Amino acid sequence: MPRVTDAGAQMTPTVGIRCVVNGKTIEDSVEPRTSLVDYLRHGVGLTGTHVGCEQGVCGMCTVLVDGVAAKSCLMLAPQADGHEIRTIESVAPGEELHPLQEALRDHHGLQCGYCTPGFVMTALALKDSGAACDEATLRAELSGNLCRCTGYQNIVTAVAEFLGVEEHPA
Amino acid sequence: MILPPFEYVECTSIEEVIDALGDGDSDRDARIVAGGTVVVPMMKHDLLRPDVLVSLERVAGLEGVEQSNGEITIGALARHREVSRSESVREAAPMLAQACGLVASPVIRSMGSLGGNLCYGESASDPSPVLLALNARLHVSGPNGTRTVPIEDFFVGFYETAVGPEEVLTHVEIPRQPRESRWTYRKWTPRAREDKPLIGLAATIRPDGAARLAVGGINPTPVLLGSASVRASDSDLSEREVNDIADAAAAEVDPFEDLQGSEEYRREMVRVWVGRVLRALREVEVDR
Ligand code: FES
Ligand code: FES
Repeated sequence: MPRVTDAGAQMTPTVGIRCVVNGKTIEDSVEPRTSLVDYLRHGVGLTGTHVGCEQGVCGMCTVLVDGVAAKSCLMLAPQADGHEIRTIESVAPGEELHPLQEALRDHHGLQCGYCTPGFVMTALALKDSGAACDEATLRAELSGNLCRCTGYQNIVTAVAEFLGVEEHPA
Repeated sequence: MILPPFEYVECTSIEEVIDALGDGDSDRDARIVAGGTVVVPMMKHDLLRPDVLVSLERVAGLEGVEQSNGEITIGALARHREVSRSESVREAAPMLAQACGLVASPVIRSMGSLGGNLCYGESASDPSPVLLALNARLHVSGPNGTRTVPIEDFFVGFYETAVGPEEVLTHVEIPRQPRESRWTYRKWTPRAREDKPLIGLAATIRPDGAARLAVGGINPTPVLLGSASVRASDSDLSEREVNDIADAAAAEVDPFEDLQGSEEYRREMVRVWVGRVLRALREVEVDR
């Protein structure tokens, strides 16, 4: 049987979802029109994932879905059903920064910081994929994340240090 | 941003999808969503306002890449990233792996499906001209059963394909390419490399000389360059012949214009890139 929206007597139909967000199982019902990023921010209260273009270009909303980087503005909340989502909040739960965040701070890889959660999640997915990586690959992998402040060089340097990739001066 | 409400149906089989799509005639607009990289932004721009979104995510049998006897079958739900990394595709149709690896940016490649790319009907698509050059066949299912559409009949107009509103693309088949074929795909983006191609040019030349050149981003649909394909078939093209073929290709196309380039500019890019591709193919060492 297909899983369908329960129109019932409600004005806006909802659909049930069950997913794991940062290690916690969540059962909820959502309106299909809610994007995953809006659900995470307003439904779950995790506001660390940011919203920029809302159309898949800027990477501000990047989260991990089953360990793979995804742009959560392009996903509808019901599509999270059955999946494991990781957001920036899971990266350094205590007082200590994650080594990648540490590297970004050391190398001045952020100014306003609006893009940072997206870069962190993209770089973590790259690290977890275990794929061999050189500087060109790293730059290509980060190409779907925009930053309006830094000019990218310091972000690349920080991520390269974190991944143990050797950088070649231009 | 809050979208207008719609109903969401998640199917587990092709039959359920066809059921959920309805007859295609009613006022109820049902659309398929796979990776979401096309439909969701179009809804946000209010270019689409479906009553029902039919999700393919859990439909069995639409995933993956299979190879048998050099013939490749790709499920409509296979993501660009998966296609670009598939050993089978790299071996039997390397040009398709290359083109899928050039679509948008990495995260979009791991979300968006090849089937979605094709059904969008975008002229400036990386895989579409490649599939034209490779002579692919597309399998489409609907209430009246399953049919096979040759890729040349698939793109019927500006953002319009042969897939009806009551139908679903299930898989893409690429016939075996003869060993020692030469091939290349070239993409030109004037601004950033994750953009859509202003021109994407795919070419194959088989060992018997038969050539197929196809272009995306120029005409309102991706198209085969008929005259150029025939004339490129001669082996060992002289510089003069290359230039003649490039001129003929530029004369053959019927470019649209947009902010990225005028009709004249697009025509000129056809001339330039057909020449480059033919010169590059002259130099390709055949080692497969
Ligand atoms: S907000 Fe999702 S990519 Fe820009
Ligand atoms: S630090 Fe401001 S957008 Fe990147």
